[in-house]
Amino acid sequence: MYINAASTISHQPTFQNAGFSKLIEPLENSSELISPNYKEYIDAGLLRRMSKILRMSVAAAKDCLKQAEIEQPGAIIVGTGLGCLQDTEKFLNTFLSVEGLLPPTSFIQSTHNTIAGQISLSIGNHGYNMTHTQNTLSFEHALIDTSLLLSEGRDNIVAGAADEHIPFLEEAAEKLNLPSKNNLTSGASFFVLSKEKSDRSLARLKDVRTIGLVQDIDTEIDSFLSDNFLNVSEVDLILYSDLSPRVESVANKYFNEHYHADSKMINYTKLSGLYPTNSAFAMHYGIDRIQQHPELKKVLVLNGLNKINLGLTLIESLET
Amino acid sequence: MDSLKEDLKKHIIEELNLEDLQVSDIDDDALLFSADGVGLDSIDALELIVLMEKFYGIQVTNPDEGKEAFLTINTMADYIEKKKS
Repeated sequence: MYINAASTISHQPTFQNAGFSKLIEPLENSSELISPNYKEYIDAGLLRRMSKILRMSVAAAKDCLKQAEIEQPGAIIVGTGLGCLQDTEKFLNTFLSVEGLLPPTSFIQSTHNTIAGQISLSIGNHGYNMTHTQNTLSFEHALIDTSLLLSEGRDNIVAGAADEHIPFLEEAAEKLNLPSKNNLTSGASFFVLSKEKSDRSLARLKDVRTIGLVQDIDTEIDSFLSDNFLNVSEVDLILYSDLSPRVESVANKYFNEHYHADSKMINYTKLSGLYPTNSAFAMHYGIDRIQQHPELKKVLVLNGLNKINLGLTLIESLET
Repeated sequence: MDSLKEDLKKHIIEELNLEDLQVSDIDDDALLFSADGVGLDSIDALELIVLMEKFYGIQVTNPDEGKEAFLTINTMADYIEKKKS
């Protein structure tokens, strides 16, 4: 499948900024979400009710449609690890503190599928509308669904992922004794995926695979690459997440041992910050790198954010 | 009565996230559910029912009564005064 548009709102200057991969550095501790002027993308009547995750997602999805010059996508597919936390927190706090009737808006918008629903409402789309929530592999599952739909005949699908940070996450991490060396952040990345290559195509999404309860990471990577008729030496760039020390050490050992001299490995969590679907940020980063560096032909996203899950996504340059 | 209307406008702006509006932007007799007035919609109507209970202890159980009461800030204030007396 071909990636015909990509848009990301994050703690980095990614939105409408082709070439951002050349500019960005690992995040500072004090980083903040860089938001566009949402009024340019979302009707004021809808915007006033939208939480951060909804604003990011609708704006990024609409930006993608504009880039791809498509009015109505064949489907809208979203992955989210934790869903609409801001509205969930608001609703639960009201639930605990107010007797009697509860305000409907935060309840309606607290469900995970609100994201895909709001994208659909904002463009008047009545097609397939799906939300995948599979922990750190939510985005990869959304991509697999997209691939299946494309093979069934639908085209020009908006697929992406989003998660939002709320201060309660730090509080919960502290109480669970789970300190993170990475910033907890928010981010939304959306793409238009199509069957056919066009003048607007940015790259090709060659394959995506998820492995739950992963036992042997080396074997899974070998199997994935071999199914795509690739040797490890043919991969030009590895984007990996580092939360799981096991994945990090295997990736370093495996790829350093196997790679040719120009191979590069980049820890994308240091760039995006930590949120469950930051592999979507990595995909956009990989696409941008391919656009900026024609010598890059094959990029592998190795999502080991959760030690029991492994996500593998292979992106190729159009010249491959 | 005037302070009740001011109070009501503040709660409506806050609870309905009317980010671009100030208290002074809402006329006492502007139609709340008209595009020419404040431009509220059906979800806002539910939020107003919750607001009436939360801040004024009034349960709006009769839909016809609510329809009349939620026409403008003036009718809302009258409704609150009537229920409280």
